[in-house]
Order: sequence, then structure tokens, then C-alpha cells
Amino acid sequence: MKKCPDSIVTDIHNYLDGDLEEEKEKLLKSHLQECTGCYQHFHELEKAIALVQSTSHVTLSEDFTNKVMAALPKEKKTISVNR
Amino acid sequence: MEDLIKRRIKQLKKGDQDAFADIVDFYKDKIYQLCYRMVGNAHEAEDISQEAFIRAYVNIHSYDLKRKFSTWLYRIATNLCIDRIRKKKPDYYLDAEVAGTEGLNMYSQVAADVVLPEDEIETLELQGEIQQQILKLPDKYRSVIVLKYIDELSLKEISEILELPINTVKTRIHRGREALRKQLRHV
Repeated sequence: MKKCPDSIVTDIHNYLDGDLEEEKEKLLKSHLQECTGCYQHFHELEKAIALVQSTSHVTLSEDFTNKVMAALPKEKKTISVNR
Repeated sequence: MEDLIKRRIKQLKKGDQDAFADIVDFYKDKIYQLCYRMVGNAHEAEDISQEAFIRAYVNIHSYDLKRKFSTWLYRIATNLCIDRIRKKKPDYYLDAEVAGTEGLNMYSQVAADVVLPEDEIETLELQGEIQQQILKLPDKYRSVIVLKYIDELSLKEISEILELPINTVKTRIHRGREALRKQLRHV
């Protein structure tokens, strides 16, 4: 099997970043349709991204803001006396 | 919302400490999300988030109102995470593996006596596995991947947060993505 140039992988990454010129994008797409190896590579990258984005959001304890406010240094408090 | 935050920052700069509560409320989840994905431990992530807000408060006078506040805040939080990772003893990584799924939404909602349906367990295991793989990335790749895919920031913002040229950010994203591709291929 003939090895594809490394520039294909660079193009794939630029494409994933929305950063590939239109002309090169056309060439890349037609290459991916013909080349199983590169298509597989592209597909695995897309899958990795989808998995990373699928991780559920973690939640912070409810009194977080109060804890931060309580932990702030107090030297500015004179202002509230002036109000 | 951005306007409200701008107003609160101005109040804060004048010395009104209470104005800071709205700022914390608005950004806390994003900052926590970033820290959790960087360090992989819920308790530690909360600790770092708190420190990030305290630093922002203490240094608010060095924040330039013409710049985006979130970029400035993200930079403080990211630097704290990276410092923490670098200071770690080598056994930290073992520790993080145990803590992989800790703090995930679904976990915290489940009461002790409730039996999880099979597919929910699988989802949790999968998410723990993905978090493990994110934690395996070297910190320079992990930070760009987390900022791009979990916080959904643009390359330009990431380059401002990390104070790196945009081309370096791109290269790191490419390499981080390649590493994840190999690690997650068989998931």
C-alpha cells in the first residue's frame, strides 16, 4: 500500500480547526473518499473529539460563592462603613 | 449579562467587596469545569477554583476593563492548575485515577440506595474512562484540549489565556488530538 503524505494529516487537523482553505478542503474531501486509511484516521479524530465533548458537567457545591466571599481578605471593608 | 459583570467589576475596583459575589456566581461553574478537567479531582478542583477567585479579587486593579474579563480569569485559573500539576508528587497520577469519576453530575444525584440502570452505569464508566485519558495528556496538551473542547473557546482566546502564539496553540491542539485519538480509539 502506498503511504499518503504527512501533509494529509496536517490538512485534517486544520480542517477540524476550521482553518483549511476552500481549495485544499475540496482536495482533502475527495482524498478521504478514496483512501480508507486516511478516512479511518479522520474518523478516529472525530470520535475522540465527540467523546471528550460528551463528558458530563461537574457540579460545584452550592455554597461555593459564600465560601469565596468569606475567604476574601478583609482590608477593603472600610468602604462599606462609608456607604 | 456582560454589562452587569462590567458594572460589578467597576464597583469592585472602587472597593465594593459585595459586588464580587455576582462575578463569582456568573463564572464559578466554568472555572470549576476547567479545573476539574485539568486536575481530575473534585475536591482539589474546588480548592483551586476558590483560589482563582481570591487571586482575581486581590489583583482586580491589574485587570484592564478594555480586555475580556473571562480571558483574564481563565488565565489565573489555568496557571494555578498547571502549577498544581507540576508541584505534584509522582504518586498523584495514581491518586487521580481513583478519583476519575468523582464529582460527576450523575454520581452526585444518585442516592446511596438507588440501583442504577445498566446503561447509566456504562455511561458513568465511559465518562470516567474519558476523563482518565484526558488526565494522561501532558499538561501543555491537556490545557489546550480542555479550553477548546470543554470550554469551547476559540484559538484566539486560548492563545490569549495561555499567552502563547496562535501557531503554538494550533500545534498543541493537533498533537493533543492525535494523542487522544490513539488513546480513545478502542473505547
